Amino acid sequence: MTADVLSAASTSAGAASIGSLIDDRPTEGIFRVHRSIYTDPAIFDLELKRIFARAWIFMCHESQLKKPGDYLATDIAHQPVFAIRTTKGGVSVYFDTCAHRGARLTTGRTGYAPTITCRYHGWCYNTDGKCIKVQFEKLGWPDGLPKDFDTSLRPVPRVASYRGFVFASLDPGVEPLEAFLGDATCKIIDLLADQSPSGLEVLDGSIRYRMRANWKFQCENGADGYHVAAVHRNYAATVTYREQLAGTGRDPLENTEAGRILNRTGTRTGSYDLGRGHMLNWSDRANPAAQPLYEREQELLQRFPADHVRWMVRRGRVFTGFPNFLLNDVASTSIRVWRPVCVNETELETWCFAPVGESDKARTARIRKFEDFFFPSSLAVPDDVFAMEGAHQGNSATDRGWIRFARGYATSREGADEPAQGLGMQPASSNGQGDSETVFSGFYRRWLSLMTSGEPRART
Amino acid sequence: MTDRVTTMRPADDGLVSRIASLLHLEATLLDDRRWHDWLELYTEDCIFWAPAWASDETWTTDPQRQVSLIWADRRNLAARIFRVEGGDSYASMPLPLTVHLVTGIAVTSSAEDVVEVRANWLVHSFLRTSGAILRAGRYEYRLRQIGAELSILRKKILIHDDAITGAIDFYNI
Repeated sequence: MTADVLSAASTSAGAASIGSLIDDRPTEGIFRVHRSIYTDPAIFDLELKRIFARAWIFMCHESQLKKPGDYLATDIAHQPVFAIRTTKGGVSVYFDTCAHRGARLTTGRTGYAPTITCRYHGWCYNTDGKCIKVQFEKLGWPDGLPKDFDTSLRPVPRVASYRGFVFASLDPGVEPLEAFLGDATCKIIDLLADQSPSGLEVLDGSIRYRMRANWKFQCENGADGYHVAAVHRNYAATVTYREQLAGTGRDPLENTEAGRILNRTGTRTGSYDLGRGHMLNWSDRANPAAQPLYEREQELLQRFPADHVRWMVRRGRVFTGFPNFLLNDVASTSIRVWRPVCVNETELETWCFAPVGESDKARTARIRKFEDFFFPSSLAVPDDVFAMEGAHQGNSATDRGWIRFARGYATSREGADEPAQGLGMQPASSNGQGDSETVFSGFYRRWLSLMTSGEPRART
Repeated sequence: MTDRVTTMRPADDGLVSRIASLLHLEATLLDDRRWHDWLELYTEDCIFWAPAWASDETWTTDPQRQVSLIWADRRNLAARIFRVEGGDSYASMPLPLTVHLVTGIAVTSSAEDVVEVRANWLVHSFLRTSGAILRAGRYEYRLRQIGAELSILRKKILIHDDAITGAIDFYNI
């Protein structure tokens, strides 16, 4: 990679040069990405415009907005937005800015605002985005506001949900959500949403955390089965030690999958390029009874084919959604989103979710298992964060130029393998090893196709 | 805030000074990485609890139905010590240098065998690779008193920060 190409990539006309940052030669079994994609601020700026402003971005789960007026404030491609439950019962997403002089409207990250009041000049909006009060209107505009003064909140161009998971997009021309997710991803989400006839709920209790690393390291890490035996060997050893302290006779739900993490149980694993940039990593559970959903297996077998229930109950799954969310159903269940702050900083947020109506015992076990792994205060995620930060720092050495994703080509095949067929699912490719690196090509091909397309047309 | 002090009252001077000694000793043992001595300050049936955020101004209150940052009994604390001593945790090698500042110690209720205490904390953690991190919050202790001996039955740690950099563990909150 020459300096010329990198500087060309720094301009918005540099689409062709960006193409040269991904070296994709399938017939030769070579897939490489140039290290500058992690560290070049110009590429980061383009990612905001061409990926985050064009994709469907995960907002929240519907259960997080229980009653009309409940809102959750976040951002898409650095633009402030908030999702709110409307009085009509749906979820709307608006730009978080007053129609008057543009001040941010929400007062917190989460809150309750059946009437949304701008603190700057006192304009008020209902949950449909309609301005219902202009402070001292008659004094300033004796004849009323000019007819062409748009006083409504601006909805984010597209909002849609799939099985309770709410997404929004800044691009009015974005493809429908289900096409963006693709059939294989929808099937993976179904495996979560079908766990209770009453659906899923996100539990109270969250925290944000930051890592000093590019956002794509979290995309890779979620789908990277290879790091588990190295980075989480400590987690496995720690919970094994804890089990020893507990002695025998403990409840099955107190057990863990430590042995599987250490890759000693010989369970079947796999990884899929689900298409559209989404990735799945899975592993058969060595110890299904340790899982909170196990209590429902018989009931689920009444409602769904045995192969589907096997995927739900007996197969741990880490799904990484393009570009920036993750749905876990391993020792516990979690949703993670990560927002790019700048080229070397990423904000992450994680929630625990659960099937509605599970037993108290299963719920508490799920929470304990979540705390074991998924927070920056757990026995595992801190190690991930430091590993990803180390990856970012190391990749700042651009002398070697390229990262080659080479592991597992021998076990990769086009389309569905037998476990995927059991679910009626068509991944782009299947790998019979969970610790392969072949799935990353699906992510980076999607990344490249968006990075080399134009930017969304501005709405008038 | 849901946990306002409503029952703060002057306590026996001897008790307050014994409590202050205990809290300062705990801070010192953590900063000196004398984890096993630190654990001895806790009862066998102890709970070490750091709630998560439930909303912008409230923390979770029900550890059985809501998620906490840390909900650890003594066995879990021993496991966390095992984890940082193992030399195998990416986030714990090297460990940061920590300084715990504990202040504003006040008795909020006292019975013959159980004393409840609140205090403010500020921890400065320093790693040569990533620099200094400051975090602060409030402690709420439930102490067991047997004769003149105090031990920690429950420690609740409210962490004010909602944008965490680095790891959170028993040694740096």
